[in-house]
Amino acid sequence: MHDGHSANGHDAASVSRGLLDRHRAAPIARRIAALTAGVLFLLGIAGFVIKLLDKGTSDPSAWGYYAALVSFLLTAAGGAVMVAIATRLAKAHWRRPISRASEMFAVVTLYTFALLIPLLFALPSLSDHRRSLWFFGELNVPGYMPHIMTTLSFFFLALAGLALLWMSALPDLASLRDSSWGLTGLFNRLSNTWQGTSRQWFVQYHRLGILGALYFMMLVTTHFLFSMDFAMALVPGWIDALFPATHAHNSLHAGAALMLVTMFVLRRFGGYGDYIGLDQFWGLGKLMFALSLLWFWFWFSSFIIFWYGAKPNEQAVLELLMVGPYLPIFMAAFILNFLVPLFTMIWNPLRKSVWGPTIIACGVLLGTFFDRVRLYAASWSVAAADDKHTLREVPAAIMPDVADVMMWVGGLAGAVLVYILAARVIPIISVWEQKELLLYRMHKPFHRLAEVLVLGKKD
Amino acid sequence: MSQRSVIGLFTDEDAAADALDTVRSAGFEQSEYEILTGTPYPEGAFGEEEPVHKLYRFPLIGAACGFIVGLLLTAGTQLAFPLVAGGKPLLSIPPMAIIMYEGTMLGAILFTVFGIVFESRLPRLFMGAYDTRITEGYIGLAITTSEDKTGRAEETLKGAGALEVKRGWES
Repeated sequence: MHDGHSANGHDAASVSRGLLDRHRAAPIARRIAALTAGVLFLLGIAGFVIKLLDKGTSDPSAWGYYAALVSFLLTAAGGAVMVAIATRLAKAHWRRPISRASEMFAVVTLYTFALLIPLLFALPSLSDHRRSLWFFGELNVPGYMPHIMTTLSFFFLALAGLALLWMSALPDLASLRDSSWGLTGLFNRLSNTWQGTSRQWFVQYHRLGILGALYFMMLVTTHFLFSMDFAMALVPGWIDALFPATHAHNSLHAGAALMLVTMFVLRRFGGYGDYIGLDQFWGLGKLMFALSLLWFWFWFSSFIIFWYGAKPNEQAVLELLMVGPYLPIFMAAFILNFLVPLFTMIWNPLRKSVWGPTIIACGVLLGTFFDRVRLYAASWSVAAADDKHTLREVPAAIMPDVADVMMWVGGLAGAVLVYILAARVIPIISVWEQKELLLYRMHKPFHRLAEVLVLGKKD
Repeated sequence: MSQRSVIGLFTDEDAAADALDTVRSAGFEQSEYEILTGTPYPEGAFGEEEPVHKLYRFPLIGAACGFIVGLLLTAGTQLAFPLVAGGKPLLSIPPMAIIMYEGTMLGAILFTVFGIVFESRLPRLFMGAYDTRITEGYIGLAITTSEDKTGRAEETLKGAGALEVKRGWES
């Protein structure tokens, strides 16, 4: 026993103190970032109002870029939460410093849910007799079935994400409560009488596992419904059973990329360089690389069916989405999501670096942005076509107007803002998981080596 | 008789484990004491009984209930209003499977949420004896027992080498 702490307790106390002190500090850079994001978010709201006053909600083609924004946020932020879930299930130690940053994207999913609501007014009802999942006209199905089901699915996704974040943060919220930092009433309520009993810790693991599985199921369901009803059903003759799965896969891909960029920002500007190191970039970079290869597989599997089938409706869909007016941004998406990762990430020195995976991840996010614009701007541009079975004429590409650009900038800034605000309350690095690592980590001599790091696992 | 809790604070894992043995040998039941830590030690690290939970039963029971409801709903409606479509059997498995799957998932999810709340004992309205230093690395051994045994609990904790003993009802 020494200075009031056990061997582990001593280290745990210093880890806890160090991380909580960093959490309490409000660096000027973060305040400037929040302020800038706030101003840009207001710009986005202005863009939304301009668009609404100018175009109303009766012309779906005017809302394609907004639909792409919602889809992009669902894809990237929704998938980013999966980084914590998947790596926790795999019991990977390297994920500990990034788990909370990943779970924190649940607040962005809630924000995306809020952005979905205006889009519901622009999505036509099924009364236009387009082909959809919902047997409209054959069974007694409400015309707003896509609106209802997607809203429900989105809501439960956000709820599952927030529950996961809260449960995961409970011990750290209790630490903040006990450290009398301020906001004691808030932390008292949020930590819900957490004491750290053996049972509470025991249940913590199981509920994180189950909530993670629940979140994953809701993520896939939400992508299924959103991609079907907000993209595929709007294009006459687009029938692709693989597309919802492709959409969900893109989410995992962009989620890993978004987490790499977030890790870089936290390491470079957040002062967490001693926690987020090469291991994290290396581990997640490999995952993103594998998902980049899978991106090609998903795209090619859909493409080959349409290309070989070559029925008029299939040719029209290919023309609209890939080889026609949106060819340049399809190529950009293809290059950034697949070709660039393939020819760069196979190179070990680049893969095993901090800068390499981060730059490639920026490319993947940009590629996903192009991909979503290609899919949603194109789909919404033909939503009002008269023939609901085959696309008779492929319209020219819809270019974004000023309001679209403002909405995109403001929409992304809003996501950054809610993330920064959430990180002000909840520690961005999971303190209790860092302390737990101390129980399973030791350095010891090994044959001729002076020291090796030995990592244990609980089971 | 009302329950009261006292907590002894320790700074060393072995001392806390020895204290737990002392508390046990002093006649306190398993349900009366618990270890409080700021770090998730492996279950049983202090010699306490490993907790058990029934969390996995909830989704299974929910899934079974949802499946049965889905089966009854699809089969029942088709039998109540027999309509042969496309020459397919009245009780055709592929379309029924979709509704049964949805019912199974819905049941599993609803029961899981209920199970998490139940197994987490949420909402927990009152805290027992506690010390804020636990989140800083101290180890707490809390005894929650009937009012007439609290004196003995305090004595036991002090005798076991607790750095400090606090009463839950005074904090």
